[in-house]
Amino acid sequence: MRPGRRLLDTVPAWMEAHRDAARRSLQRRLQAPILSLISIAVLGFILALPAYLWVLLDNARALSAHIDHDPRIALYLDAVEPDTVAELEHHLESDARVERWDWIDADEALAQYRERLADPGLLDWLDENPLPDVIDVVPATTDPAALGALRDALAAIAPGAGVVSDDDWVRQLNSLHQLGLRILAVVGALLGLGAVLILALATASELRERQEEIAISRISGATHCFLRRPSLYGGLITGLGGGVFAGMLLLTGIALSRAPLEQAAAAFDLPFRLALPGASHLLTLLLAGLLLGWLGARLGSGHALRDAP
Amino acid sequence: MIRLQRVTKRFGSAAEALSNVSLRVDPGAMAFITGPSGAGKSTLLRLIAGLERPTRGRIQVNGHDLDRLSPRAIPGFRRSIGLVFQDHRLLFDRPVFDNVALPLEILAYRRPEMRKRVRAALDKVGLLHKEAANPRTLSAGEQQRVGIARAIVHRPVLLLADEPTGNLDPALSREILRLFDDFNGVGMTALIASHDVGLVESMGKPILHLEDGRIEARATTGQPA
Repeated sequence: MRPGRRLLDTVPAWMEAHRDAARRSLQRRLQAPILSLISIAVLGFILALPAYLWVLLDNARALSAHIDHDPRIALYLDAVEPDTVAELEHHLESDARVERWDWIDADEALAQYRERLADPGLLDWLDENPLPDVIDVVPATTDPAALGALRDALAAIAPGAGVVSDDDWVRQLNSLHQLGLRILAVVGALLGLGAVLILALATASELRERQEEIAISRISGATHCFLRRPSLYGGLITGLGGGVFAGMLLLTGIALSRAPLEQAAAAFDLPFRLALPGASHLLTLLLAGLLLGWLGARLGSGHALRDAP
Repeated sequence: MIRLQRVTKRFGSAAEALSNVSLRVDPGAMAFITGPSGAGKSTLLRLIAGLERPTRGRIQVNGHDLDRLSPRAIPGFRRSIGLVFQDHRLLFDRPVFDNVALPLEILAYRRPEMRKRVRAALDKVGLLHKEAANPRTLSAGEQQRVGIARAIVHRPVLLLADEPTGNLDPALSREILRLFDDFNGVGMTALIASHDVGLVESMGKPILHLEDGRIEARATTGQPA
């Protein structure tokens, strides 16, 4: 504690020092608005691209909910004992993974089939009904792993039953979605790394312009933290600006691509509507901007201050 | 306050800038270092301020053994020192007030206290009316006084000045040295490098004379190591 300074003064003084650093950093940006706007624009573009791809992927996944084709599991019961059938029914009632199930009686199925035939008399040639009783299960989930587990559980109860699941399209859509997410993660990480390096370069060159101030401050006893503080606030300002700009780009991009995408979906008879990103997604974009801005400033200032006289 | 024991400084493979220099400046004392350009005056001050490390020898300043000072402790040590440069080294992107306030900002002073101290320092050097001016608009003498105000605003225990009168006319030079004498009068230890032997001698303070990096002669009180 320096003479004449009270402990109670140190916290407000610390806050004032931070406010001053932030204010000075903002002033410096306002003095060179073009360079600052270029940094903000670069960060905005870099953030907006993966965000836009993510919105498309997310909407594509949501598309599966629009398709009127739930995954099904059919249990063919021709070689199953009545006791096992009862056990199956009991299980289907209690399993939370089952949305609903229907018993399709073999005779009813044959009757329905007869109605659809152009010449129902053909069926009279059969000695007996070739169709088995069937339980048609509508699962409560579209998650491929959960569907597989349910199918295995039902097959274990009735080993003699033919268990056929109709969830290939869910698996395909899901694996495509997973692949898309993976590609997005790689692209996002590479772009993020690029953004950090660009912002680090900008921070380092800004610090080079402040070399005399840094030298005088060092001589006057400034710590590394004190010297770096305005740069870190600068990074946060750029990050905030970049995040806001990315959000605007994203909303504009969605607005522009909405009509053609919905027209294309309509051509496939899909009731698809491109949803706008929610507030939480825009907030994530903002936080990503702040994080990248801060990381770039930290990397650039650490490097520049280590080399400064 | 300052104690150098057989200190040598060599820059790369060049000749020694300082050779085997030993000296002592007691707390509260004021002393001058004289000598021609290149004699090693600036090097000596930079070593005492911890801006350079000696090639050999031991330096103690204000109770710190500079050899053993960790990098983390260096900022704290420098805050106890005020430095005045011949070329002022003012920042032209901000007004006089902000230049003088810089050491207080580093020390995280609060605004009201900072204002009080900066105004007191500017008043002391006779430039209170110039606090809002850009240093670029000031004369050389005024710029030097702003540099002095910045060096003493945080009330350091030791004031080091490197040719503070280098670019000034004799009347202004005397005025600046009188300022240092005033600071010394309130307990600040001062070590001032100057090539102007006549002016320095007129102050009646101890003088160390440097020639080719060696102390050639010294006068009067409290300095032999």
